[in-house]
Amino acid sequence: MKRTKRAVALAAVATAAALALSACSSDNQPNPSDSPTAQNITLWLAGGDTPDSLRDWLKSEYNSRTGGVLTIEEQAWGDLVTKLTTSLPDANNTPDVVELGNTQSPTFTNVGAFSDISDLYTELGGANLLQSFVAAGAVDGKNYALPYYFGSRYMFYRKDIYAAAGVAQPTTLEEFNQAVLRLTQVNPNGIADFSGFFIGGQDWRNGISWIFANGGDLAQKENGQWVMTLSDPNTIKGLQQLQDIFQNASKAPSTAKDESPWLYINDSDSTTDKAADGTETDLPTSLAAATIMAPGWAHWSIGDLVTVDGKPARQWNDDVFGVFALPGADGQPAPVFAGGSNIGVSAASRNQEGARELLRIIFSADYQRMLGEQGLGPANSLYVDSLGSDQFAQALIASAANSKLTPAAPGWAGIEGSKLMEEFFSKIAQGGDVVALAAEYDDVLTPMLNQR
Amino acid sequence: MTVRPARAALARPTPRRRLRPGRLAANLVAVLIALAWAFPVYWMINSSLLPNAVLISSRPRLWPWGGSFDNYAAALASGSFFNSLKTSLIVTLIAVAACLLFAFCAALAISRYRFRGRTSFVLAILFIQMLPAEGLFIAQYKLLANVGLLNQAAGLAVLYTAAVVPFTIWMLRGFVAGVPADLEEAAMVDGCSRSGAFFRITFPLLAPGLVASGVYAFLQAWNEFTIALVIMQKEDARTLPLWLRGFIQASATRETDWGQVMAASTLVALPVIVFFLLVQGRLTSGLVAGAVKG
Amino acid sequence: MSSTSSRPRGHGRLNWAPYALLTPAVAILLAALAYPVGWQLYTSTLKFGLAQQFGQPADFIGLSNYTELLSDPQIWSVIGRSLLFCFINAVLTVTIGVALALLMQAVTKAVRITLQVGLLLAWAMPVVTSMTVWVWLFNWHFGLVNWFLTKLGLPFTNHNWLEQPSSFYAIATAIVVWMSVPFVAFSVYAGLTQVSTEVMEAAQLDGALGHRRFTQIVLPLIRPVLMIVLLLQIIWDLRVFTQIQLLQDAGAPTASTDLLGTYIYRLGVGSSNFGLAAAMSVFVLILTVLLSAPYVRSLLKEDVV
Repeated sequence: MKRTKRAVALAAVATAAALALSACSSDNQPNPSDSPTAQNITLWLAGGDTPDSLRDWLKSEYNSRTGGVLTIEEQAWGDLVTKLTTSLPDANNTPDVVELGNTQSPTFTNVGAFSDISDLYTELGGANLLQSFVAAGAVDGKNYALPYYFGSRYMFYRKDIYAAAGVAQPTTLEEFNQAVLRLTQVNPNGIADFSGFFIGGQDWRNGISWIFANGGDLAQKENGQWVMTLSDPNTIKGLQQLQDIFQNASKAPSTAKDESPWLYINDSDSTTDKAADGTETDLPTSLAAATIMAPGWAHWSIGDLVTVDGKPARQWNDDVFGVFALPGADGQPAPVFAGGSNIGVSAASRNQEGARELLRIIFSADYQRMLGEQGLGPANSLYVDSLGSDQFAQALIASAANSKLTPAAPGWAGIEGSKLMEEFFSKIAQGGDVVALAAEYDDVLTPMLNQR
Repeated sequence: MTVRPARAALARPTPRRRLRPGRLAANLVAVLIALAWAFPVYWMINSSLLPNAVLISSRPRLWPWGGSFDNYAAALASGSFFNSLKTSLIVTLIAVAACLLFAFCAALAISRYRFRGRTSFVLAILFIQMLPAEGLFIAQYKLLANVGLLNQAAGLAVLYTAAVVPFTIWMLRGFVAGVPADLEEAAMVDGCSRSGAFFRITFPLLAPGLVASGVYAFLQAWNEFTIALVIMQKEDARTLPLWLRGFIQASATRETDWGQVMAASTLVALPVIVFFLLVQGRLTSGLVAGAVKG
Repeated sequence: MSSTSSRPRGHGRLNWAPYALLTPAVAILLAALAYPVGWQLYTSTLKFGLAQQFGQPADFIGLSNYTELLSDPQIWSVIGRSLLFCFINAVLTVTIGVALALLMQAVTKAVRITLQVGLLLAWAMPVVTSMTVWVWLFNWHFGLVNWFLTKLGLPFTNHNWLEQPSSFYAIATAIVVWMSVPFVAFSVYAGLTQVSTEVMEAAQLDGALGHRRFTQIVLPLIRPVLMIVLLLQIIWDLRVFTQIQLLQDAGAPTASTDLLGTYIYRLGVGSSNFGLAAAMSVFVLILTVLLSAPYVRSLLKEDVV
């Protein structure tokens, strides 16, 4: 009986030891990037916006220029901040180059996550680079993160419904606000919960266009400190217009974000609704909006339902669908939110040379043109013509012309992470008192803006 | 949880009794509940077989007639499903094995011995389960980064084992306590050696307990994704829940293809469901019918 | 049979066997948790934000994080909501679980296996998977639930379930209960199998019927299982995180639907306020321990743990 006890105890100790051993064994992997000439580097791309063909080109170009291997890893937007927060400070595990949202850029730039690349700035495009994005990656005149691509959002609309409701394509912001109200009231097809303009209540990224278009702003820097300006009269004016749209032109849920709005502008899918007596009717079941605001690539998901290679797909139809940039108060394109991302070199990276070489590749004329050909706004304005001249390119260029960014305050990413902007807009969408809400969120957000 | 082996109840001597109305009603209710409980699983499989264009409609398709496996093909083609499957299997198997072994030893200690510190230990494993894990991510990342176990199955398995071991100890403790030590002694009187008695008598009686705890550990390790999200950041180190999350989020930036998302979900759930159906008999009956009366 | 009696072996000298047996479990717990918990305690006394995470020195601020937390009215509503959510979910889960376990006993073998498989399917679904399905079921525009309710003639066309905290919590409760009941049902069913047929038949001969048989004979026998299962449900439901987070991702107002887990997560990873998040974690731990202490004490007294 003593033996069993000992056997059990020995087994226990042995397993603990085995575990301890296995915990140590994988520590000393050879680092393949020791050679300075051929550094193997890792690039984090956010989301799936960069097409595979561009990724492959980057890999082979990097390899032929340096002899090193470029590994590209895609990080989901929703988890990006978590991963940047843990990985970027960790020299052993940091990616060497990272793409991040332009609105996240000031925060990480301010805490010193990126290497100073001011010396490369002119070589990579200098003043030709999209300046609002450059500012989001600069501190005290030094450049840390640079624009990767821009993708301002514009309007997709149903020509047939506009025509049926007797509404013309709006040319000023005021006309737009009236047009979508009228579309909702007329509702020519008699669809339940029809939206003249479908915009989710939490969709602040599109919603702030109304603030900007009325000359308002989210925040300003005063005496070195950032202050929220939601209570500014111009901001309030924009928010009130937006509230009118939320309440009277959009039937989107007050909790909806900016995901997949194109679902609601497409016509009936393969199913039609059965009427109460069992007969099939031709009423579209999914059409729910006459206008949406979306990134340019949404046009791949908008159109008539066709069958390609035996699979259902969407095919754009110029007779039914159209695009335009949101007009401003003066008839020029409104300053909409400038969607897009920045790119920077991790300060903790041991492969600074390789990372800088990758930046040279990304900002090369070849790659900038490739971005444009894929519908992504190139960072360097010299190559914007690569977007082409079709209606999508025109709308993108027009919408980007006056586009604006969120405040370049150190705490902005924290505000986004806290989801307070979603909450603020959602409350406005639900009909809350705009002035009181603006004052309330000014107080809540201002301290967060300056938090490093 | 104290699940003691007991034959009597499992071999209920009620095989050919006539169904009374009450029993019939109970049977009916039970079947309805079973259907209701399994419905989300059905809905997932149903949706996974239909093209997205059919799903994006305000009139749901209740049956997958005319469906296909295209969504599965698409889900398997995008990203590294099989690589993630492998990672998930390795992590889960290490965690389950380590967890069962460690927990078994500990359960033996706290159920067969009175010793100084026993109560403290029992309380400690209870309180460990109360730790809010959401605040630990950063530190867990630092811990694994310091020992070079980031993005490694072994590192994640260590964290999972620690997360599951407290509960498993508790669960197994009930089973160990349920096997009376007298039984081993009786076997020894009959001529068994001490270790022989243990392995021939006690161990088989513990099998259902080990299966039940193993299933629990398996589920936790297989399904967990918040720790994995922080620890397994490299694309080739992703576990299946991360692959699925990546798949959902990637499709959200384009057009959310619900058919494919559901197919991907089914692919992640499938191994667990198969594993569960395999062990379910053992979980709930079968092996429990040992030699003892509770 | 007394499982934990001081058995003759090892009597009279220091018995090292139990300590050796505990070593691996203690070792793994220390390896995985000692540093993170220590870091958390330490960080809770620091002003620790993103800049500190990137290597800048952190200021020691003593208990300021704690006082800042406790003076924030929002934390108390989060705690109140969490306690309520935890209590409702734990009670619902255990009640339904016991009911289903009793049902398993009352039905024929084929039906019992059907029910068990149904429960197992739900139990086996990975959280990310089942949340995806549930969110899809409750989708405001394309969801099956709204379609079904509309067919019944109820005004649920395009109803947004996640907008109001009350219906948000109703859905969260449905999901959490759906996920947790199988474990309870199986545990209690296993406990019920201990109640031997002889006991039940004897009770039947004595004329004990229906609920009396349940309260007087069955309940006392499965009481240890019940108490532990309830305790575990309370612990688990108080720290519910993934389900709430994924529901919030699907578009619920965050501040009014936050529970302790998501609150800590948004403080820390979301807003990069790691010092405050650490203090919050410590505080939640203390709160949980305090709340469960009386219950645990009674468990210890009854010798069921």
